[in-house]
Order: sequence, then C-alpha cells, then structure tokens
Amino acid sequence: MKKTTLAAAALLAFAATGAAFAYDGTNCRAPGICWEPKPGFPEAVEGTEFDPLHDPAEVSKQGESIKEMDERNARRVAYFIKTGEFIYEVDDIPAE
Amino acid sequence: MMMKNRPYWGPSMLAVTLAAAVGLTAGPALSNDKLVELAKDNANWVMTGRDYNAQNFSPMTEIDKESVKRLRPAWSFSTGVLNGHEGTPLVVGDVMYAHSPFPNTTFAIDLNEPGKILWQNKPKQNPTARAVACCDVVNRGLAYWPGDDEVKPLILRTQLDGHIVAMDAETGETRWMLENSDIKVGSTLTIAPYVVKDSVIVGSSGAELGVRGYVTGYDVKTGQQLWRSYSTGPDDEVRLAEDFNDANPHYGQKNLGIDTWEGDAWKIGGGTNWGWYAYDPGVDLFYYGSGNPAPWNETMRPGDNKWTMTIWGRDPDNGMAKFGYQKTPHDEWDYAGVNVMMLSDQQDKEGKDRKLLTHPDRNGIVYTLDRTNGDLISANKIDDTVNWTTGVQLDTGIPVRDPEFGTRMDHKATDICPSAMGYHNQGHDSYDPERKSFFMGINHICMDWEPFMLPYRAGQFFVGATLSMYPGPKGDRENMLGLGQVKSYDAITGEFKWEVMERFSAWGGTLATAGGVMFYGTLDGFIKARDSDTGELLWKFKLPSGVIGHPMTYQHDGRQYVAIYYGVGGWPGVGLVFDLKDPTAGLGSVGAFKRLQEYTQQGGGIMVFSLDGESPFSDPSVGEYDPAVPGEPT
Repeated sequence: MKKTTLAAAALLAFAATGAAFAYDGTNCRAPGICWEPKPGFPEAVEGTEFDPLHDPAEVSKQGESIKEMDERNARRVAYFIKTGEFIYEVDDIPAE
Repeated sequence: MMMKNRPYWGPSMLAVTLAAAVGLTAGPALSNDKLVELAKDNANWVMTGRDYNAQNFSPMTEIDKESVKRLRPAWSFSTGVLNGHEGTPLVVGDVMYAHSPFPNTTFAIDLNEPGKILWQNKPKQNPTARAVACCDVVNRGLAYWPGDDEVKPLILRTQLDGHIVAMDAETGETRWMLENSDIKVGSTLTIAPYVVKDSVIVGSSGAELGVRGYVTGYDVKTGQQLWRSYSTGPDDEVRLAEDFNDANPHYGQKNLGIDTWEGDAWKIGGGTNWGWYAYDPGVDLFYYGSGNPAPWNETMRPGDNKWTMTIWGRDPDNGMAKFGYQKTPHDEWDYAGVNVMMLSDQQDKEGKDRKLLTHPDRNGIVYTLDRTNGDLISANKIDDTVNWTTGVQLDTGIPVRDPEFGTRMDHKATDICPSAMGYHNQGHDSYDPERKSFFMGINHICMDWEPFMLPYRAGQFFVGATLSMYPGPKGDRENMLGLGQVKSYDAITGEFKWEVMERFSAWGGTLATAGGVMFYGTLDGFIKARDSDTGELLWKFKLPSGVIGHPMTYQHDGRQYVAIYYGVGGWPGVGLVFDLKDPTAGLGSVGAFKRLQEYTQQGGGIMVFSLDGESPFSDPSVGEYDPAVPGEPT
C-alpha cells in the first residue's frame, strides 16, 4: 500500500516537474545499486513487452565452450610439461 | 605457421625444453624486473606503452622543438596486408617486432639492415573469424618476455580466431598455442597480450555479440592457465579479494555481479576487455577497464550491470581484484570502458604525494584514481560539450545523469555527446612527467540512438540499436568534418593547457618526448609533431594511409628514430574498408566518416623517421647483394 502511494506521489511530481524525477543515477538502494526504472518502464522486464525471452540453451553456450577449450588446453599443456613437446591437435596427443 | 602438428624440435631441443618445463615450477619470478630494466634503455620499446607506467614517454632529446623540422623518413616496411593497423611495433636490441591485422602475421626486422626480415610467423586461421569481428580485423600489438636461465626470450601474440601464441623471439618458432576465445560464440581477440612477471595476461572481445568478458593469466613458459576473472556473475568468478573495495565501500562490494542484473542476463552481459593494461610493481596490481554491457538496448537489461564499465586493480599472480570502480552504471550509449590507463606519481590538491592512474574514458570523462586503493581524485569532462552527465560526484563516485540524453525503447534520443565511439576510444595516449601533461587524442562525435528488441543467438550480433553519428558542436556538421581534438591535460587542476581541432578523430593515441615534442598520427594520413607546451604544429609528414596506432621511438646506433604504423581502418574506417554506404551501417560510423575516403585509402606498414632521414642505408652499400658471398649477403 505504501509502495503504491509512493509511486502515485512520484508520478504526480513527475507530471508537475517534467524530467526532474526521472532516473538520474543518484538514488541508491544500496552501495553500488543505483539503477531505477525510467518513467513508464517496469522494475523488471520479465513478462512485459520488453522481456528478452532468453533461451537458456543459447545463454549457456559460452560457458560450455570455455569449459571445452580449457579441457583441450589442459591436455596440451600437461603433455608439454611432461615431454617438452607441444602438440596442438589434442587427438594426436599420445595416450598415457 | 611454423609450428607443425608434429613439432620441429629434434632430440637435443627436446632435452633442453624438458629441463625448462621441469624447472618452471620452482624459483622466484624475476622477469618483470628484467622487463623494467630493459624499458629504461632508450634502445628498447618492450611493451605497448613503453614501460609499466604506460606513459608512452621517452626521455630522449635528440629530436626536439628545433630539430624536429629535420625529421625525414629513414626506412619503411609494408606488412603485405590491408585493413586497420593498430598498436605499435616493439623494439628489443637490434630487432623490431611487427604485427599485422588478420591473419596476424608477426615479423622480426633487423635494425642493422631493415631491408631484412629475420623471421615471419604466419598463422592459418579460420576465415570465419572475420565475420564475428565487430569493428575491423585489427590487432593492438605484441608482448615480449625477456627469458630466463631455462627458456629463451619469447614474443607473445593474440589472434583474431581466439588463440594466444608464444614464439621464440630469436627464431619465430611457435613454442605453444592455446585457445582463449571461441569464434563460434562470437568471441575474438584483438587486444595485445601483456607480460607481468612470468605470466601473460590476455583480454577478450565480443560484447557486440553478447560475449561475457574475462581476463586470463597464463604461465608464459608453458601456457598453463593460472587464473581467469570475469566481469559479471558470481563473486568467485569475478574474483574479488577479501578486502575488495574496503577503501571505498560505496563503490559496491559483494554479489553485485549478479544482483545488478535481472535473471541470467549477466551470462551474456559483455564487459570484455580489449584495451590496454598498466602495472605497478610496487603495489603489485595491474590495471585495466572492462567494456560495455550487452546488448546496447538498455531496456533489455535493467540494473547497474556490474562489473561492466569498471576500472580494475587486480593482483597479477591470482587475478583477484583489490578495487573496482564502475564509471558508467547501466550503460545506455556503448561507452565501452576499456581505454588506456596511464600511471603517474603526483601531488594532489592538498599537496599529498599520490600514486595515480589516469584514464580518459569513452563516456567523455577523464578519471584519475589513487592506484593503491581506487580513491577517486578527479573526474573531469574531456570537452565541455559532454551532455549525458552533468558531472561526476567525487564523494559518491556517481555520474549524475541528464535524463534528456539517456536512451530507452520506443524513443529516438538525439544529440547525445559523446557518441558510441566516445570522446576517446582505443588510442594509447601519453604522459609527460616533467610537464605533468597528459596528451590526449580525442574524438568529437555525437549521435542519435534508437534501440530495438532482438533475440540472443550465440555467434550472432546482439546489438539492438540504430545509430546516426556526426561531428560534435565544435565541428562542421554540414560538411561532416571536425571530428577530432588533441589536448594537453593536467589531472590535478583539471585544466587544459592547450587544445586543437582535427579534421578527423585523433584515433591512434600519442607519444611524448623529453625533447618537448609530442607526436600522433591522423586518420587522414599524417604523422604530426606539436610543441608540448603550446600545441603549435611544428612538423608533419604525409604517410601512405591513415593512422590508427600510436607512435613509438627508440635509439639505434646512437640515433633516435620515430616509428608509426599506417593503414587506416578500425571502427572509423569500416565504411571505407568494407565499402559501406548506409550512414547507419558499421554500427553508425559510416555516416560520420563518409568524407574519410576523400583523404585516404587502405594501406599497411611501418614508417620510420630520423633527423635528415639518416639510417643504416645512408651507406648505400649496406645490404647490397654480393655475388662473391654464397647464400644470404651479410
């Protein structure tokens, strides 16, 4: 209820003074957290017309790719340290 | 590429390297000291900004305000490729190491006889890498590791296709080659590697394709990954030290890599670092900036989007962050915060000796921080026409936004200054410690911006904004000229000692010398020398093509040389390089730089200058073919 009242008051004030109450970055909820939605925009975009609708499968691809690169690199480096010979193609690295 | 799948090394080489590999696990790291020592010698230019202070300053005085008029080309070298030539060559002893844009060939040139290519290492790369480069196929430079008792000196190179490579500095043979970035998810490498102690630091590119940024440390001898620190996400992945930001808790501390994003948006949140580094061996921190959040459409990512757009001080041994100051919370303009970090020791306004870091950002503010703890010392506008912020509060660190110049969905914002190209971009500037002057190559470009919704698909562009860019208020908007400035800046007083307008952006950075002359290259194809005290134009030379790299200087055989890459490109050159006409193409740069092609075409090479053009070839017999000597002459 309080939140609604505040919002209504803010809206009235905004209407009266133009852009003065728009997001200017100085009203912080916590240290380092100073973002506010702009007038007419939602606090959270999920479920709104601005929902980015990210596909979790797409969003996770970078993490998977880095994990795979790191694994290949680890095999290359391990063999290099062990033998002094560097082989890039992991399929060509002799098994233990 | 010299490295073969089955290596070139014979048994004897194998034994030597084996010993090296075994030895690497023990012993103190002293190589950074060696690099510091090498950098003190005027004969060398061993890293991107000359030394760890990244001042691009030379104590040499042979070329001064009087003699500079006698500067002439001494010799030149074509890299054999077009596209943008960023960065600057390295010089160590008698050898110049040069890099090229894609395919990122590395050359070693004999300074005793610069007609001779000592070795070249040309990688084979998947050409698909070109398709996911946002802003031309540039590369910002090489790194040098001076070697130790076990392993000979190495040259380090990044490749657009995401590889980091170590090469023997003497032979050019590849020692190791590892994957840092995957082009299949839009992640590339354009940044120059950076050597601290016995590790090599590598950044990342791809925020325009939604790449979550990271910086990685590798053991320079083996390529073993030592640590990796991300710009967004959980604290253990961002790698925050226990006392992170304790000196300035109002900057924010724990959990903000998650809490300042909605949902999983941080996983594709940008924050790549493709700019420059600096390092203070005394404080044992290295400094760099993380880039813009993704996508450009601000409405799709509510929150401050930490820790994108942040000045970092990190421990080079483990990547842990001691401080982080976010310059542009919730970016709305693509002010990628990766720009140059220049270190200086100066007295602040209260007369207190300070170890400082000065950083001209894309957002139009020059930040100066105490580099031991991140204290904000000054934050001044690069030009009085910056309008997205009314100014930065030094006590809170907050930039006060002017809502009129913010961006948002269903709205076309106009006349925002700076533009997405920033009032300052990738140019590596200089600092003159005697004059206490920062010489900055500046852009004067503003823009209109309208975002749009778009899905994220790994490997595809994830921008979501349409831009028009044009000269700032002090330029000539009717004729699309007057897009740049060069200024001399005092970080303590905030005053500009002098400022001049340029036809195009001063994109490549600057070089300062104790001779009282500062140098820079221009997009329209000149290298210029100005009086460090007054800004008076003392000398210039018309190069084959525009410049987007920074000048360097070195001494060889007792003579001072000034060298610079030519080869226009980069973001301002994409219209010219890729023959684009739509003014909003090239992420909006095509329109702003439509006049560039009237002044320059593509090129690629190095031009080296000296007084009266003196060089090893002043004796014309040097390098001549001698039929009496079988094989190679000399």
